[in-house]
Amino acid sequence: MTDKKQKKGVKIFCDITKCLGCKACELACAVEHSKAKELALSIKEKPTPKKRRKVSGVEDKIMSFGCQHCEEAPCVAACMSSAMYKDPVTGETKHDKDKCVGCWMCIMVCPFSAIIQDVTDKVAMKCDLCPDNEDYACVAACPTNALFSGTPEEFKRRVEEKSSPAALKRTKIKSGV
Amino acid sequence: MRYCIIGGSAAGTSACEMIRGIDKKADITLITDEKFALYSRCLLSYLLAGSINEDKLKFKEKDFFERNKIEALLGVRVEKIDSKKRELGLSNKKKVTFDRLLIATGARPKEMGIPGEDKKGVFALRTIEDARGILNRSNKGVKRVAILGGGLIGMRDAYALGHKGFDIKVIVKSGQILSQMMEKEGAEIIEAHIKKFGVDVMKGLAATEILGKDEVSGIILDNGNKLDCELVIVGKGVAPNIELAKDIGLATKEGIIADDYLAASQDGIWTAGDVCEAKDLVTGEKTVNALWPCAVEQGRVAALNMAGKKTKYEGSQSMNSLDLFGLSTISIGVTKPKGAGYEILTSKTENSYKRLVIKGDILWGMTLVGKVENAGVYGILIRNKINISDYKKILLRDDFNYAKILPLIKKEAQKFCKPEFQDILLTY
Repeated sequence: MTDKKQKKGVKIFCDITKCLGCKACELACAVEHSKAKELALSIKEKPTPKKRRKVSGVEDKIMSFGCQHCEEAPCVAACMSSAMYKDPVTGETKHDKDKCVGCWMCIMVCPFSAIIQDVTDKVAMKCDLCPDNEDYACVAACPTNALFSGTPEEFKRRVEEKSSPAALKRTKIKSGV
Repeated sequence: MRYCIIGGSAAGTSACEMIRGIDKKADITLITDEKFALYSRCLLSYLLAGSINEDKLKFKEKDFFERNKIEALLGVRVEKIDSKKRELGLSNKKKVTFDRLLIATGARPKEMGIPGEDKKGVFALRTIEDARGILNRSNKGVKRVAILGGGLIGMRDAYALGHKGFDIKVIVKSGQILSQMMEKEGAEIIEAHIKKFGVDVMKGLAATEILGKDEVSGIILDNGNKLDCELVIVGKGVAPNIELAKDIGLATKEGIIADDYLAASQDGIWTAGDVCEAKDLVTGEKTVNALWPCAVEQGRVAALNMAGKKTKYEGSQSMNSLDLFGLSTISIGVTKPKGAGYEILTSKTENSYKRLVIKGDILWGMTLVGKVENAGVYGILIRNKINISDYKKILLRDDFNYAKILPLIKKEAQKFCKPEFQDILLTY
């Protein structure tokens, strides 16, 4: 486990100004949560590996979103089998598949439509911050750096910094404009 | 400071945890009449269905009481509250004193009030003892089960036993199942679905008598017909356990009346959970919303106030989630509006149904059958009374999700204080 992954409050953010809607994050997420963890092999797996992120239009823009690992997580409070819980160290909202009975109370209270029904096992499913990966699959796959892993403070700093002239220049070089 | 908590389920335990978090030195005593502690009542139908075992009913770690230094009196009933002496009289003849008291006594199944209800083989499903009784009985050659009541409890029981292959008849007085939760159109989809799995719903009927010598052999219906069965489950809803509160003159109606801080009508006493009648977020009226998430939240808020951290209770939201043989359904808020001025929008496909209740450009309630993944998104629109005038078509669309309402959240950002909402808005 890398140090970054042990840091409190780390989660995935999306810079909506940079998202092109390519869905590379969705694909990478599904592959990361497959048995083979490789695209060519995972495609034929049964059940088909499922993504925990969604890419969707917001008026004329596009965004990628998933579990926000809320500080005060409604899904944790609503869970009657304590399958949803907070990691005391990282603050991540975790899900214990073995405890889940598929009552969908978490879905009922999640404001971000971030919890998905795994109909095969009849359990809830959501962003688990890639426990088997040194990095975050969706962030690594994002070609425009719209996706960012870090704490809310780090994301805020990044957004503020982005509007500085130096940062704008960097973005242009990177995206080949 | 001495805290006493009557009740050991969702509200009672979440209150204990919160009080301990604030006050490391407090004496906390929890009293419950159940011996088997820390189990989730809502999971009992899953135990019945055989999808979990008794160990998995536990929603807290085994050492919960020790770790939080809580004196737990299990299998002990509180028989009397002395509000002057600040003392509780217990069924084991002992007395405990308190400075601050939480009444989280929950609710109990309503009785039918018909002859034969005391026969062997007649159950409600509220406690672990009930579940053990049903399981025990169902292993003894039971083939036919009658479930009296087509509400949430009745339907969950029907699923649990139907799942095991019993012949299930659900007897419903009204013209539809789940009449408290949703209107007829949605309920009919569910009814047709469960029929495929051997659950037969008999509408417009009620049981008038339970037959049998010592043990159940059948029921008589109000149309005069007899129905043979070896097991009867009564699912007629629950009634809050308000007797203790009434005895000391606390304000009660259906439940114990709570103010905006979940305090009962006498100093030093609070209430939470299925016994608590508190503000409903959508209607603004005092209601008993007997739901697990509400009980947890109320337990926490009551505890904060008990420990001196004045915290307003925002209100509960009526909502329910149900999954029967793979068909999910969730309803939130007002689903069966009474009175004029409501606009109803529906959309229906072969395997999904969506119904939105709107009044004055605000979403008041909704029902989803089949595809439920966006339920919570509708939930925050309802909870925060967001103006959706330009979004009615979008709300009904199949590709609706959180991203679609981002402009609405931006417009009324002051209503969305949680940092997660603000973080997403940073680049929008």
